[in-house]
Amino acid sequence: MSTELFEKAVALIGAVLVGGTAVVQFRNELPLRSLDANVTKLLLGLMIVGCVLAFLAAINVLGVHSAA
Amino acid sequence: MDTVPSTLQRGGHDDPHDHIHPAPEGFIRKYVFSLDHKVIGIQYFVTGILLMVIAGAFAELVRIQLMDPAGTFMSRNAYNMMYTMHGTVMVWLVLIPLVTGALGNFVMPLQIGARDVAFPWLNMFSFWLIPVSAAVMFSTFLFGAPTAGWTEYPPISLEQGTAGALWCVAIMLVGVSSTLTGMNFVVTITKMRAPGMTWTRMPLFTWATFATALINMVATAALTIALAALFLEDVFNVPFFDAARGGSPVLFQHMFWFYSHPAVYIFILPAFGVVSEIIPTFARKPIFGYKMIAFSSLAIAILGFAVWAHHMFPAGLAPWLQIPFMILTYAIGIPTGIKIFSWLATLWGGRIQFSTPMLYMLAFLMTFTFGGVTGIFLASVPTNFHEHGSYFVVGHFHYVVGGGAVLGFLAAVAYWYPKATGRMLSEKLGKTTFWLFMIGLTGTFLPMHWIGLEGMPRRYASYEFIAKLYPDTVFWNRFETVFSFFMVAAVLVFAVNLIVSYRTGRIAGNNPWGARTLEWTISSPPPYYNFKKIPTVLARPYDFAEPLPYRNLDDEKIDLYPAPTAASLQPAAVGG
Amino acid sequence: MSATTLDPGQSATSHAAVAARFADVDAVYATTRDLRLLGFVLFLVSDCVFFSSFIFSYLYLRTAAPVWPPLVDGKQLPYLDVTFAAVNSVVLFGSGVTMHYALESWKKLKKGAFNGWMVATIVLGIMFLLGQAHEYSGALQIMSWTGSSFGATFYTLTGMHGFHVFIGVIYLSVLLVQANRGVYTGSKYFGLTAGTLYWHFVDVIWVALFFMFYLW
Repeated sequence: MSTELFEKAVALIGAVLVGGTAVVQFRNELPLRSLDANVTKLLLGLMIVGCVLAFLAAINVLGVHSAA
Repeated sequence: MDTVPSTLQRGGHDDPHDHIHPAPEGFIRKYVFSLDHKVIGIQYFVTGILLMVIAGAFAELVRIQLMDPAGTFMSRNAYNMMYTMHGTVMVWLVLIPLVTGALGNFVMPLQIGARDVAFPWLNMFSFWLIPVSAAVMFSTFLFGAPTAGWTEYPPISLEQGTAGALWCVAIMLVGVSSTLTGMNFVVTITKMRAPGMTWTRMPLFTWATFATALINMVATAALTIALAALFLEDVFNVPFFDAARGGSPVLFQHMFWFYSHPAVYIFILPAFGVVSEIIPTFARKPIFGYKMIAFSSLAIAILGFAVWAHHMFPAGLAPWLQIPFMILTYAIGIPTGIKIFSWLATLWGGRIQFSTPMLYMLAFLMTFTFGGVTGIFLASVPTNFHEHGSYFVVGHFHYVVGGGAVLGFLAAVAYWYPKATGRMLSEKLGKTTFWLFMIGLTGTFLPMHWIGLEGMPRRYASYEFIAKLYPDTVFWNRFETVFSFFMVAAVLVFAVNLIVSYRTGRIAGNNPWGARTLEWTISSPPPYYNFKKIPTVLARPYDFAEPLPYRNLDDEKIDLYPAPTAASLQPAAVGG
Repeated sequence: MSATTLDPGQSATSHAAVAARFADVDAVYATTRDLRLLGFVLFLVSDCVFFSSFIFSYLYLRTAAPVWPPLVDGKQLPYLDVTFAAVNSVVLFGSGVTMHYALESWKKLKKGAFNGWMVATIVLGIMFLLGQAHEYSGALQIMSWTGSSFGATFYTLTGMHGFHVFIGVIYLSVLLVQANRGVYTGSKYFGLTAGTLYWHFVDVIWVALFFMFYLW
């Protein structure tokens, strides 16, 4: 297995695992209303976006560049 | 009127806000590394005034050079150092420490009924960064001093060697100090107001300080990065601004002005707050349009972030970019206009007392409006192309800064000095200061407008080519130099007033002006803990017909309908 | 901690609500924590402005460049390695999740679990830094800090971020030591909350950098 394929697999599985867990945690935080809970929700949400980006990079949807 | 929202009810001896910490002991703890916002405010004040004298001396050297169109008084390089350091020190080491550090620190916690700011240690740290920064800034003279103007655009600012790098470091230190102060004030005002003081019962100076602190927090961080990028390019050759390697000099202008435009609102918003305090007190009338004034402070703070490119119109921006900035710059005159008209409406029908603070405020209304109107001329892109880089700009900003922020600051000192020291300033010396300063301001900065329109360029060590075309520029430059010394005289009289009145001024008592905000309910000077018991606030402080809207004041003998004592507005013992 | 019942319409961040949450702890702590939380969040806001300013410079220079990656000495620079960065990103995001579990464990008074999750967070953070070091060792052979606007913005921004991660690793280690020395209790643990927010913040900045430098 080439390095690149291995990396893609790790990124893909990792993104799903981490992103999925983050979604669960985000759902748990939703009803709380204090300042630290709201900030945590915001940052977790953006982190989930990051996991989505990593997933899309792993399946070659994003980050594919042809030399200009 | 008599209700306290349940969300703000506190009280009882368990309330942490009522807890009085033990007094500081020892000279170092009391006066050097003090955690007390009042002491820190005074430290900022003294430091700022000293630096103002130095920066003013640089300006006088500039003015002496300009008496001769051939410019033979100093070398070109020395002249460049003088206007660069004048601007740099005035903006970052004088104005910012004085209006936010001195005024904001001393007055705001007293006005909201707090014992101190939210983070006193950070407050002390923020202050001490200023002398350190000043030391670094003046050390640049050992390396030739920066010479590219206070705006230090690359690529020319990258040719200054060590001086340029040290300049960046010095200002980044002020930036850290400013950001921390901004954050400190936002938390203090948000969380530490006295029970019952809702947002719309806050004094307007506190509103102004809040809006200023928001700008401080956000804009100063952007400045730090602009200068960090300049520093990296200067020291490590990292090509942010080098066009040959993909960088752009215009990028620096964007990054720099994104801070520096909101910075001018940092200068002026506290002055607006001072106007809103002094005019009602000396017109014995409630402030007109409290909510409009409060919200216009926020509007100016927010809009101020959207107009920076009006400093860059000739830099080659695309027209589709210039026009929105032009329109937004016009628009920012609207919240300011709302304030000016509200203050005029407050004066209308009032019983005006022409004390020294009030004189400053009446002059402010004229000079700041004038400066604002010349700003509209600069906001228009076509006229800006003619005026950019000329003395018209210099006249404009000295009117709004000198005739706006400085007048507001001088008024604030005249107003709150009795609270800080327990002594009244001499009215005679105060009025002398005022008239000397106004004569100096007008004589120095008014002619700059027309010689600027004739083409007199700024930052030029000699102007023979303009003198040939317009011989009157020679006369007016000399006129301006002569009148600038009136401002020097004003500062001297001001300093004498401060020093002499400290020992021999009339005893002020709690409330010499008959004002209604919380700081006037405690002794002058206040004890280190400010309030023995934190009062509860029932209404806005500006309705002169009503009793003072506070409950649980420690001294129940406080006059509920305060009026200025007949003696307080008469000349004090010193100076006649 | 007792659950709070708020009057309808009463803000959860009002002093009364905060005091109620800490009713079994002293009121002084409630107020102090309130101030420090807002102060810390505002610090993160200003830190966000720091990164945003440099990000603005990257966006400006990139959109103004005739080609991207830009030319250096006539030759165009290659693109960066996306897949490795994707792995490193997942490592960092994972550390954010473990940090969250660490804080939750502390709130549930499960000290053992807390220690485990904290160590995992710190290890993942160090792994991220090692990954960045590997990335730099490769990139520096092709692209220097001073040769182009690409190098200037890339190394400065990721370097500033890496510095924040480094400080964060030290910060979390100190928190771990302090927690085990009894500085924090089941109801007084603001330092841990602040550390979690800081760590999430560093995570989110990386999301922006990952997208801008690798995926765009």
